[in-house]
Amino acid sequence: MTTGEAEKLAHFEQRIARGEKIEPGDWMPEEYRRQLIRMISQHAHSEIVGMLPEGGWITRAPSLRRKLVLLAKVQDEGGHGQYLYHAAETLGATREEMIDALLRGKAKYSSIFNYPAAAWADIGVIGWFVDSAAILNQTMLARSSYGPYARAMIRICAEENFHRKQGMEIVYRLTQGTPGQRLMVQQAVHRWWWPTLMMFGPHDADSPNTPVLVRWGIKTRTNDELRQEFVDQTVPEARAFDLSLPDPDLRFDAASGHWRFGQIDWDEFRQVISGHGPCNQVRMEARRKAHEDGAWVRAALQAYARRREQAA
Amino acid sequence: MNDTQLPRFEVFVQERRNGPHLNAGSVHAADAELALLNARDVFARRPECHGLWIVPADRVTARTAEQLAVEMPSSEPGESGRAETYRVFGKIGHKGTHEHLGRVEAASAGQAIRKAFDTFGSLSVTSWWVVPESACLESAEDEADAWFKPAQDKPFRDQAFYPVETFMRSLRRARESKEPRR
Repeated sequence: MTTGEAEKLAHFEQRIARGEKIEPGDWMPEEYRRQLIRMISQHAHSEIVGMLPEGGWITRAPSLRRKLVLLAKVQDEGGHGQYLYHAAETLGATREEMIDALLRGKAKYSSIFNYPAAAWADIGVIGWFVDSAAILNQTMLARSSYGPYARAMIRICAEENFHRKQGMEIVYRLTQGTPGQRLMVQQAVHRWWWPTLMMFGPHDADSPNTPVLVRWGIKTRTNDELRQEFVDQTVPEARAFDLSLPDPDLRFDAASGHWRFGQIDWDEFRQVISGHGPCNQVRMEARRKAHEDGAWVRAALQAYARRREQAA
Repeated sequence: MNDTQLPRFEVFVQERRNGPHLNAGSVHAADAELALLNARDVFARRPECHGLWIVPADRVTARTAEQLAVEMPSSEPGESGRAETYRVFGKIGHKGTHEHLGRVEAASAGQAIRKAFDTFGSLSVTSWWVVPESACLESAEDEADAWFKPAQDKPFRDQAFYPVETFMRSLRRARESKEPRR
């Protein structure tokens, strides 16, 4: 590193220490840019792929009200993907290369969306578990040092509280329903609990990116801290619903004030993020098909714009 | 799989009636009209939108306060020519986003930046954008109801629609009354 570079880096780190936001056009270390593009594009892909597990239930929602709500939620997720691709673009990534990486299977997205939404109750539990987990993560990222990412997160968090609450409402209604409905929601809780805990990512000791992300204020909390907060928040909610969680080691530790949970199956996590989860294939096929089926629309839009330009 | 990327447009949302237009993000579209329609889909799903502006991203001239402290754009020979209107956007302080501050008349983007700095420099702006007004397209005043009213009829997009706190409280109370006090 040259003296000039070292000075720039020192100035950059002072700005972050003062709580200033880094904006497009400001000097930033290449590694800061690289880490942000990696994280933001993965986050964008997660929103887009995240439309799929729930999208299948839009036509099978049990009432018009539930259909409207689910449609609005899935539409939000599409919008959130757009906000995030935009934030990554401000760092010089193009939308074309990000989407290309996703469709080629080279980009990662959240492991959770490779699990199936097997029953209607899963829609409730996804809102309650997955969106609660996402809100914890995103509330932290709303304080991120990179301005466009933080602003996208503020917008997303405000909208996602609706996602969490519509899910909890479904869960509540099912727990108050017939024995069959109670069983359905209990089974969905057992399906989604562990995959949701995995969503926060590897333990801090096994997370190579965490130190640099925390140092530059991209993240302000670690995977394990966020996971613990999720457990502490959700266990009392499950008890209020009278729903059991599939962890025999779950117990309240009065000394620390935290709920202690059992061992996460990291082999399963590694399988899922390396492409061998229950739905990886189906998700990627659905995205590729959507992209290919939309090709004629993009071609038509461009032809129309060209013709108008020529006519002008 | 390798489609050509469509041009990018910056999007500004008027969140309060008569309030300033704020930069919300961007959309890609084949032309400005479609960009405006896409902007509505992406940024106006909720009632807090009273108007939209879009601007082709390649027509935005940007300078950070840091850059201006080192070097103001120098005047160019053509600047005595015909002036046009530029819209000025600034990010004030370190929180928030670019918001519309007002307009200046200038014959070049560089001159617009200098005039913007002279006119609005007291506002502790950390990042400046200037855009020729002729490159902006906005949602039509007389179509505002058709564009933005439908979102007001969708209260289920708001978290307050779901009485979660109320039913969680009632569940906890029911549970406590069943369990003997420890």
